[in-house]
Amino acid sequence: MLLVLDILTTAAILFVVSIGLLAVFGVLKIINFAHGAWLTIGAYCAVVAAKLGLNPWAALPLAFVVGGALGGLTELFIIRPLYRRPLDAILATWGLGIVIGQLITLGFGRDVQMTPNLVSGTVEIFGADYSAYRLATLGAAIVIGVAFALTIGGTRLGLSARAVIMNETLARGLGIDTARVRLFTFMMGAGLAALAGVLLTPLTSVDPNMGVGWLIGAFMLVMVADASFLALGVACLVFGAAQVLVSTFVSPILGSIAIAVLAALVLRVSPKGFSRA
Amino acid sequence: MPDDAPALGLAARPARSRARLSRSAPFVVAGLAAVALWVAPAVLDTFAVNVLTRSMIYAVLAVTVDLLWGFAGVLTFGQAAFFGVGAYATAMALTYLGATPEWMAVALALSVAAPMALGLAVGWLSFYHRSTALYASVISLVTPIVVTQLIYSGGEWTGSSSGLVGFDVLPLELEGFFRLAALVLVAVTLAAWVFVRSDAERALVAVRDNDARCAYLGLSPKRLQIALTTVLAGVAGLAGFVFANASSVVAPENAGFLFGTELVIWVALGGRGTLLGPVLGTIAIDYLAANLSGDLPFLWQLLLGTAFVAVIILLPGGLAELVRRVWARLPFGRRQAVAPRLVASSPRPNAAVSGAPLLKIENLAKSYGSLTVLENIDIEIRAGELVSLVGPNGAGKTTLMRCLSDGTEPFSGAVSIGGASTAGLTPNRIVALGVGRKFQVASVFESLTVADCLLLARAPHDRLSPIGRAETLSLPQAALDVLRMTGLDRLLAEPTRLLSHGQKQALELAMVVALEPRLILLDEPTAGLTKAERTTIGAVLRTLTGDGVAAVLVEHDLDFVRQISSRIVVLHQGRLALDGTVDEVVNSELVRTIYSGGAHG
Repeated sequence: MLLVLDILTTAAILFVVSIGLLAVFGVLKIINFAHGAWLTIGAYCAVVAAKLGLNPWAALPLAFVVGGALGGLTELFIIRPLYRRPLDAILATWGLGIVIGQLITLGFGRDVQMTPNLVSGTVEIFGADYSAYRLATLGAAIVIGVAFALTIGGTRLGLSARAVIMNETLARGLGIDTARVRLFTFMMGAGLAALAGVLLTPLTSVDPNMGVGWLIGAFMLVMVADASFLALGVACLVFGAAQVLVSTFVSPILGSIAIAVLAALVLRVSPKGFSRA
Repeated sequence: MPDDAPALGLAARPARSRARLSRSAPFVVAGLAAVALWVAPAVLDTFAVNVLTRSMIYAVLAVTVDLLWGFAGVLTFGQAAFFGVGAYATAMALTYLGATPEWMAVALALSVAAPMALGLAVGWLSFYHRSTALYASVISLVTPIVVTQLIYSGGEWTGSSSGLVGFDVLPLELEGFFRLAALVLVAVTLAAWVFVRSDAERALVAVRDNDARCAYLGLSPKRLQIALTTVLAGVAGLAGFVFANASSVVAPENAGFLFGTELVIWVALGGRGTLLGPVLGTIAIDYLAANLSGDLPFLWQLLLGTAFVAVIILLPGGLAELVRRVWARLPFGRRQAVAPRLVASSPRPNAAVSGAPLLKIENLAKSYGSLTVLENIDIEIRAGELVSLVGPNGAGKTTLMRCLSDGTEPFSGAVSIGGASTAGLTPNRIVALGVGRKFQVASVFESLTVADCLLLARAPHDRLSPIGRAETLSLPQAALDVLRMTGLDRLLAEPTRLLSHGQKQALELAMVVALEPRLILLDEPTAGLTKAERTTIGAVLRTLTGDGVAAVLVEHDLDFVRQISSRIVVLHQGRLALDGTVDEVVNSELVRTIYSGGAHG
C-alpha cells in the first residue's frame, strides 16, 4: 500500500517539476535547458522568504512572480533570436543555466541552504505513518494540473496557445500575436518551474546545482508526452511507478536512470510517445 | 573519354594547381605542429606540460564532437560516455591484468573496441528511417547518464564514486605523455582534416541538409550516421586510453553528461564545423580554466557561461568565424572554387527488354483514418513507356508517387519493380531497384555546390573517396544534356542555394537522371518553369524513354502531356478513372468534365 502512495506522490512531484517545461516545449517548440535553473531560483526564493521572516507559503507566489519576470527577460533576449535554430536554443538555455547557477553561487555561496518545512509531520494512513508533505504534493499537483487545464481550456491565452501549437503559421494569419503568446507562455513556464522549486525544498537539499538532476527527468517526460498535457500525466504515473519499483526491488541506482532509459526506448518505438494514446 | 566541357577545363588549370597546393596544406601544418609540440616540453614548465597534456586529449574529443555536430549536424553530448568507457576499459585492464606490454596492448584494443561496440548500439538506437535530429540528441544525453550510473553500481570493480587510481601505466615521463597526447591529437586532427576535404564528407553534409533527398539518391542516411558514430566512439575511446595512462586516475565524472556538455561548449566557442577552431578553442579554454579557476572559480564559470550564450546567439560560427571574416577581407584570402571536370560515363548496357512490366501496381489503396485517398489502383508500366498521371488537385497523384517510392508508407495492395516487391523497403533500397524520384518542390542540397550534388547522385555507382576530391565527374549523357541545355554546366562550383527556382528543378532532374534509373518518377517537373525550360525537359524525357527508361509523370499542363506521353492515366477522387492512349484520354467525355469543373458541380 505504501508502494502505491510512493508511486502516486513520485508521479505528482514529477508532474509538478515537468509541467513548466511542457508548456514551453508545446508552444515554443523549444527545449528549455534552463529549466533546472528556474527550479533552483524557486528554491532560493524559499530561502529568501525564510530570511525575510515571511510565512513559508509566501514563497510560492514570490517564486511564481520572480520566475515569470526572469522568464520574460529570457524570452526577449535569448530565446527569441533562436526560434529558427532549436538545437542552438537547447545550448543557449543550457549556458543560461550555468550563468544562473554561478550567480546564485556568488550571491548565496555554494553550501546547502536550509528552508522551513511547508507541511511537517506524518499522517497515519492505512495503519502506517506517511510523510504529510509527500501527500501534500499530491494535492499540489492536482491543483496545478487543474489550474493549467483551465487556463488552456478556458482563457483567451489558452485558446491562442492551442492554435499556435497546432498550426503556428495559420494562427499568425488569423491575427494572433504569436510573439506575445510565446512570451506569456515562456513566462508562465518559468513561473511554474520556480513554483515547483519551492515545492521541492522540503524534499531535496537546496544548493546552486540542485536543478540539474531534475532537468533530465523532466526533459525525458516531456519528450514522451510530446506537448500533450494529459500524456504528461500518464507518463509521470507510468515512469514514476517504474522508478519506484526499480528502486525498491532492484537497485536505487538503476531506479535513478529508469525514467531516462524507458523514455528513450518508448520514443524509439513510437516517436510521438504517449500523446497518441 | 570525351571532354564535355573544354572551356571549363582550360580556365580551371591555374586554379587546379592551387588546389593541389592547398591539398598538401594539412600535411604541412600537421608536420609543423608535430615538430613544435615535440620540442615544446623543453620550454614549458611542469604545470603547463601537465595541463596541456590533458587539454590536448580533450581536444581530440572536440574533433569528434565537431565532426558529429559541425559537419553531420548531430548535436551530441555522448562523446563523454565513449571517452569514459575507453578510460575505464584501460584502467580496469591495467588494474586487474597488469601493465606488461601484452596487457597494455589488450588495454589499448579494449579501449577502442568497447566504445565502438557501445557506439554501434547508440547509433542503431539513434538513427532509423524517419528519426529526428532531436531524438539523436536525446539518446546522446541518456548515454553518459547510463554509463555513469553503471560505473557507480560497479562497486569495487569500477571503484564506484571514487574511481580507479594507482594502476600501472605506460613507462613514460611527464614529457613523454605530453608528446604522446600531442601525436594522437595531430594524427586525429589530420585524419579528420583530410576527411572533411574529401568527397565522402559531402555525404555527411548532404544528410544534414536533406536526408530525404539522400535516401532518394540511394544513399542510406542512417548507415552513414551509424558508421560515423561508431568510428568516432572508437576515437573517443582512444583518447580515454591516453587519458587513463597520462593521469593514472579515472573517475565517473570523465564519462558524465556534464563533461559532455563542456565538450559542446568548447566546440561552440572555438567554431563548429571548422576543426581547427574546436581544437585550438578547447586547448585555450581548458588551459585558461586551469590557470584561472584556482583564483576565481565561480567568476570563471560565469564568464564562460556568458560567453557561450553570447556566441550561440550572436556568432554561431564561434571564434573561428571571426578569423574567417578577417581572412576573407585579405586579398589572398579568397579561395577560388574548383569544380571537377565533366565527362560522359560509358552507357550502361541496356537490360534486355523483356515483355514483363517494369512497374506493377496491384489493387493499391491508401487511407488516412477514415479518409480514403486511393483505392483499387491497378497499373502496369513497361520499359520505354512515358505515362502521364493526370487528375484534379486532391486526386491522389502525389500520394501514389509516394507509395511507389517508399515501401514503408502504410498502404494496402502490392507494388513491384522489375518483379521485386517493394513492401517494407526504405526509399534508398527502392532506388537500388532502379527507381529515381523527382519531388514537386525541388529537393537539392542547399549548402553544397552543383557539382557536389551531382557527385552524390553518382555515389551509388562511383564510390565517394574518403581522402580526396575527384578531378572528374562522370555522368550519363542524358544528365549532361540536362546540364548543358539549362546552362548548369557553367555553374558547377556555384552553391545551390544561389540557383533560381528553374535551375534547382533542372539540377534535381539531372541528379535523378544521373542515378541511371530504370523507372523515373517525376512530380510536376515543369511547375513554374518557362516555356523554353519545359521544352528542354520534354526533350530529355523523350531521349530517356527512347533508351528504354520508363517514366511516370504527374502533370497539370495538358498540352505538355499530350506532346510527350505514350499513355495517360487519369486519377479522379482516388480511383483510376481512365487508362489509355493520348487520343483516347484527351478526347474522352470524362476528362472534359473533370477539367471543366463539371464533376465538382
